[in-house]
Amino acid sequence: MFDAAIQTFTSPVVLFFVLGLAAAFARSDLTIPEPIAKALSLYLMAAIGIKGGVAVAKSGIDATVLSALGAGIIAGFTLPFFAYAVLKSFGKLDRVNSGAVAAHYGSISVVTFVTAVEIFEGQGNAPGGYMVAVMAAMEAPAILSGLLLARGMGSKGGTQSSGEMLHEVFTNSSIVLLLGAFVIGMIGGPEGFDPVSPFFEAGFKGVLCLFLLDMGLIAARRIMDARAVTWRLTLIAIFLPIVNGAAGTALGIAIGLDTGSAAALGVLCASASYIAVPAAMRLALPEADPGIYLTMSLSITFPFNVLINIGLISALAVMLAG
Amino acid sequence: MIETVTRKRIEILADTALQKRVTSAIDKVGITGWTILPVSSGKGREGPWREESVVGTDKVFVLTIAAEDKAMELAEALAPMLTDFGFILSMWDVQVIRGERF
Repeated sequence: MFDAAIQTFTSPVVLFFVLGLAAAFARSDLTIPEPIAKALSLYLMAAIGIKGGVAVAKSGIDATVLSALGAGIIAGFTLPFFAYAVLKSFGKLDRVNSGAVAAHYGSISVVTFVTAVEIFEGQGNAPGGYMVAVMAAMEAPAILSGLLLARGMGSKGGTQSSGEMLHEVFTNSSIVLLLGAFVIGMIGGPEGFDPVSPFFEAGFKGVLCLFLLDMGLIAARRIMDARAVTWRLTLIAIFLPIVNGAAGTALGIAIGLDTGSAAALGVLCASASYIAVPAAMRLALPEADPGIYLTMSLSITFPFNVLINIGLISALAVMLAG
Repeated sequence: MIETVTRKRIEILADTALQKRVTSAIDKVGITGWTILPVSSGKGREGPWREESVVGTDKVFVLTIAAEDKAMELAEALAPMLTDFGFILSMWDVQVIRGERF
């Protein structure tokens, strides 16, 4: 446990995130120019997708991969119901905001996942490459559950049809690139990946460092401006990742995943979306307050996961597997 | 002296993710053109915001020029979005050259 914490806090990726947080809290003028931040995120999505696809091409699709996919999709659908109940009762949020926040907590954060993979690899527990596919599969189900909770059965979302909304979710640039690169990796396989691997392998950790620096700046600046988040919501933003992370890890071990992959499933369940879901909620539930859902997922849950919860989940997975 | 005509210049502050809704509303009422301008940060009733395209909190200005009747038609079409999505729409009179184009 102590070792896991040390490993987290000596990882350059995590330290760059801490630097971003510290710089923003100190009101430094440090910023990553917008087009560069966007380019960094595109690079990361492409690299994560292609590496995952190559890994699946190498290992093939077997029962373990399918059960991990099934577990991920079921978790994506069901986690929002638990989150909704907590948000509505303890959090004292109204129905629409509870539904919108619940969708974020059922969905996943790619950057949290990648940071966790870096840390797990450092501990010798690299998750299976197929977990990237599980991650992609967990992106959307929670959005549907969240909308169902916020709107009730059979009613339309916001000012647009649900077909239009699903189109916007699945054509979201990061999802298109992530899934597209995954398919490219699967088609190309290890031999096809070889010529392009210097670009996607060598730069990956450095780019991830810069991206996390930017996320640290954004998360800290947002929380300094936050007004809508109460102490109850702050507690929930820490409580949900702990419970969901532990449940996801236990589920992973129960269905027979290796330690690293079970921990990765735990991290996926613990993480909250702040890219795809906020965009979907802005369109489908315009009356929900982004000041609540973005601040909770990006400024509280994301730092908590990166700094503390990944270490806890890793320790839990090792304990359960042992 | 060159002849000018009075037209409405309409300015809409909208989320980048939703700019297509604004431009298609402009197209729908039959206004010929529009221009998108990037914006970097601001502050409104909900507090400050910044251009953060990674998390999708970036906004744009959509500018267009039209005759008064079409401008009103556009305002009518966009009115529900102003409340739902927190857009801002303002318009004012401007003098344009080659008025038949607007």
